[in-house]
Amino acid sequence: MAIPKKGPVKPNLPLNYSKTLLPRREQIKDMITKDGTYLPKSLLHADLDRGFLDFVKEKFNISSEGKTIPVVDILITTQNWSQFVETWDFQNIDKNIEPPFITIIRSPEVKYGNNPAVTYNIPNNRMYYYMEVPTWNGNVMGADIYKIPQPIPVDIKYSVAIICNRMREVNKLNQRVMETFASRQAYQTINGHYIPIINDGFTDESVMDLEKRKYYVQKYDFTMMGFLIDEDQFEVTPAISRTFQVFEVDQRPIKRKQKKRQPVELETILFEYENDVLTQDYFFEYTCNLYFDESVNIDAYSVFINDQYYGDNVNEIQINTNDLVVIEIVKGDLLESPSLKFSQKLI
Amino acid sequence: MRSSVPITRLGKFFGDRDFDLEIGMGQEWLVGDMNYTCVLYKIDRNKIKTDDVYGEVVEDGIKFLPPVEFNAQITIATPENKMIGSTKMDQVEPGNITISVYLKTLEDLGIDVDFGDYVGYYDSENFVRYYTVVNDGRVISDTKHTYKGYKPFYRTIIAAPVGPNEFRGL
Repeated sequence: MAIPKKGPVKPNLPLNYSKTLLPRREQIKDMITKDGTYLPKSLLHADLDRGFLDFVKEKFNISSEGKTIPVVDILITTQNWSQFVETWDFQNIDKNIEPPFITIIRSPEVKYGNNPAVTYNIPNNRMYYYMEVPTWNGNVMGADIYKIPQPIPVDIKYSVAIICNRMREVNKLNQRVMETFASRQAYQTINGHYIPIINDGFTDESVMDLEKRKYYVQKYDFTMMGFLIDEDQFEVTPAISRTFQVFEVDQRPIKRKQKKRQPVELETILFEYENDVLTQDYFFEYTCNLYFDESVNIDAYSVFINDQYYGDNVNEIQINTNDLVVIEIVKGDLLESPSLKFSQKLI
Repeated sequence: MRSSVPITRLGKFFGDRDFDLEIGMGQEWLVGDMNYTCVLYKIDRNKIKTDDVYGEVVEDGIKFLPPVEFNAQITIATPENKMIGSTKMDQVEPGNITISVYLKTLEDLGIDVDFGDYVGYYDSENFVRYYTVVNDGRVISDTKHTYKGYKPFYRTIIAAPVGPNEFRGL
């Protein structure tokens, strides 16, 4: 059994479980906005290209004969080559790049992506609510609404080529690629976004002519399943902080019919003379007027207030508070019990 | 000892002594007038350091016998401006060197040129370009390499340029 060459097998023991599901998503969201504003960072073609360059330099950092195999620090395009040859630092006296080295070629065309996280959705590139950020202007507490468009998925194809003279150098890069893409995909964090990269295979273009300078050229093809998100399209709009409601009314005078007064039913008070009683009294604790309504089996009656004679057969009796009213009757000829009925109106 | 059969072709008007004379005059022209020279770095196959699996020479692992300068007719092909595979990296690739050398020169110096040997050619006073032999021209049975059909008298050696990553000379 081989002994591990680089230190202990597991140099660090994790004390906490790695986050999963929703906490992990929140962790990634925090990562997106780390060291910046509340909004995610922009992600455009150049950012993706730079991210892939960094990915290659970090993951495919191999050495040969004790020297690191250099990586051409730009993406080779058709136009930039002649400028770059003036500045590269691993060239020979012919100003030719000297093997071994690794270079990255990007296909110019960028197609609509297959990233399953951001597929077709609502058309017209509408803006989506992203975050609500509290604000304070010195007087009023408010909030800003941050909106961003849906990211646009893109697939960018790259080729990583190694040009070298020795099979061992080819083997090393191959080993590193196979290890990195053992599950066919790897990830690169670009501006805080997780971007998947897929290995599409590789081709060999080694120069095998007998009477030519011989070297290996092997190209590994990758697809970066990125997306575009432009910070210039972000929107920050103030949320509602105070509501001011205005009602508009018709100020023209409106003629309405006068309401008819409903007749007020007055309270009645009944004096009953049973068992041949001819006098009845009543103590009033309020001020009112009594109006004669009707009498039963009574020929005449006399009214006394506080033992003072008030009148006979009066239709209206004015009574003050704490008055004692005594009404004496002259009974009629009928057999039924006499009674007097007055309506009283409070004053 | 290998059997030696005299060549009697063209015997009525050309013979061994004429052949030697012509070669001698040619060498006089090539050495005395032209004086094109190049340096042979003969690989020391016993000391060379190679990969034990692929047999490829490791960096600075090439060991060679003492260099030998020899005269020859030199033709260097035009450099090619081309891409390395489909990498979009174009570069001016130096052309191959074609060395036409008299067999007698090699015989006099006691040297031989094999596949994989290195040849240095001074482009200028302070710049030498190295080549590796990709065709040692050992097969010279064609009419072109004979003196008017009498017998072969030179070899055409083709070598491809190499970079300092592979060979740096002394």
